[in-house]
Amino acid sequence: MAVKDGLRYTKDHEWIKVEGDAGTIGITDYAQEQLGEIVFVELPQVGKEFASHKEISVVESSKAAGDVYCPVAGKVTAVNSALESKPELVNEDCYGAGWICKLKVTDKKAADSLMDAKKYEEYLKTL
Amino acid sequence: MQGSTTSGAFVFESRAIEPGPSVLYEEHVKRTAKSHISAFAGYLMPLWYSSIAEEHRAVREKAGLFDCTHMGVLEVTEADAGAFLDLVTTNEVSSMKAGRARYGYILDAAGNVLDDIIVYRRGQSNFMVVVNAANEPKIKSYIRELIDGRAVVDTQDSAWAAKLPDLDVAVWDMRDPNRPQDRRVDLALQGPASIETLARLTNDPSALKRIADLKSFALVEEQLSGIDCLICRTGYTGSTVGFELFVDPEEAPRLWNLILDVGELLGVVPCGLGARDSLRIEAGLPLYGHELDGKFNISPFEAGYGWAVKLDKEFFIGNAAMKRIAATYSMEVARIEWPGTKGIRPIRQDDAVLNARGVCVGWVLSSAKVEEKQYSLAYVDRNTTREGTKLGVYYLARSLAQVQQGRKERVEKGTRLEADLTGAVSARFPKF
Repeated sequence: MAVKDGLRYTKDHEWIKVEGDAGTIGITDYAQEQLGEIVFVELPQVGKEFASHKEISVVESSKAAGDVYCPVAGKVTAVNSALESKPELVNEDCYGAGWICKLKVTDKKAADSLMDAKKYEEYLKTL
Repeated sequence: MQGSTTSGAFVFESRAIEPGPSVLYEEHVKRTAKSHISAFAGYLMPLWYSSIAEEHRAVREKAGLFDCTHMGVLEVTEADAGAFLDLVTTNEVSSMKAGRARYGYILDAAGNVLDDIIVYRRGQSNFMVVVNAANEPKIKSYIRELIDGRAVVDTQDSAWAAKLPDLDVAVWDMRDPNRPQDRRVDLALQGPASIETLARLTNDPSALKRIADLKSFALVEEQLSGIDCLICRTGYTGSTVGFELFVDPEEAPRLWNLILDVGELLGVVPCGLGARDSLRIEAGLPLYGHELDGKFNISPFEAGYGWAVKLDKEFFIGNAAMKRIAATYSMEVARIEWPGTKGIRPIRQDDAVLNARGVCVGWVLSSAKVEEKQYSLAYVDRNTTREGTKLGVYYLARSLAQVQQGRKERVEKGTRLEADLTGAVSARFPKF
């Protein structure tokens, strides 16, 4: 199960990459594997604000679906429209080309309280 | 419990088995990633090789090769083989000529569909019956019980039950590795380039002519590159040109590779279960458990196959129920086309189908994306199935958040809702 360094992780298997007040979010390798072949990603509206833990997206596979919760409060600045025609990018490259959306983060420090790669790896072992 | 209940229903408890390789497993591993291989009906089968969309397109434009070696292949022989199949299946079998095949159903005495099958007549007393992989253990058990006189044959009249065990008939598993000869497994080659591909596997012009001249649902026995093949013009993709090839399991890998080698320049590709499903849905063809039997106990009439149920046969198992259903059925399977643009949420099984006024008239049974459109097979009120009728779909809640936002997890008929997408009833059985 791939866990990427330099990202922060939530217990619900979202990742966030924070650079200044810009955050990029997606779901982890564990999440994409659990879901199976992804056929649809519901993208949030650009400009919409989300509180931490609020549902920001839904990722659907042929048999299941998983809610994606916003890891930290922020406003959506961009969405990955490549996922509209190639939802499988989330399976193929969940930390890279499979990113879901970008946020302007309200509190730059909020991500620090999330798990780092090592802690997330340990967390995965408990599941 | 196992066996027949007093109502005539045949109950069979499938044993969960560890999925195993098909005879072509080693070939699949060479051509696709192991992560694309999944358990299906007890076998490890590829979901796709390149992509579902590419394989689907190949079958429509060139040709595709499918591993159908997991399907059950039964041989029914001896003097009363035809009579036996006339009793046990819904279509007419004895009247078939050698070299012809027919689609039909095996029912239990209560009229439940146990499987949809194709019966191929090879000779006067020699038939081959191909059954769904998932149903093979059940059908073999059922046939054994019928021959032994243990299964209920007719809930009203025991005279037919008495006749069955007296018939001169034998049933064999043609895939049994212990069978001394004439073992057969199924490979399917489907699409416009099929004949040209097979032409490259024979030097015999008269054999090629017999293959090229095969009419739909006819069969011949020929050699392809020295391999004995039963070549049948049948298939499950809606292709007007397509063949099922029945060969010895030990020759199957060689034939598989030969077809893909000579077919490469013709655009022939291997196709997995994903494309198989999107192709058969696009063609309107039923999948047992979805458009037949399944949660709605769908009958052949509702599925659009009343013609394969010969109600004027003197008797067949389940005929009383079929007569009742033929006279009274009010729901049927419709094929619905939905427009597509990028980013539309895929429709799935159980989503509610709405009429033009937003009232639920049924539910989706199967759905697939084909290029930019979606096609669904849905179980709906008969009065909504005329070609061109506008219908809507309501997506059931897919995730917890959607449930919390008020989206329904199930919808009863008659409920009025707002459609998420609108489409229209399309031709029931298009040909490609």
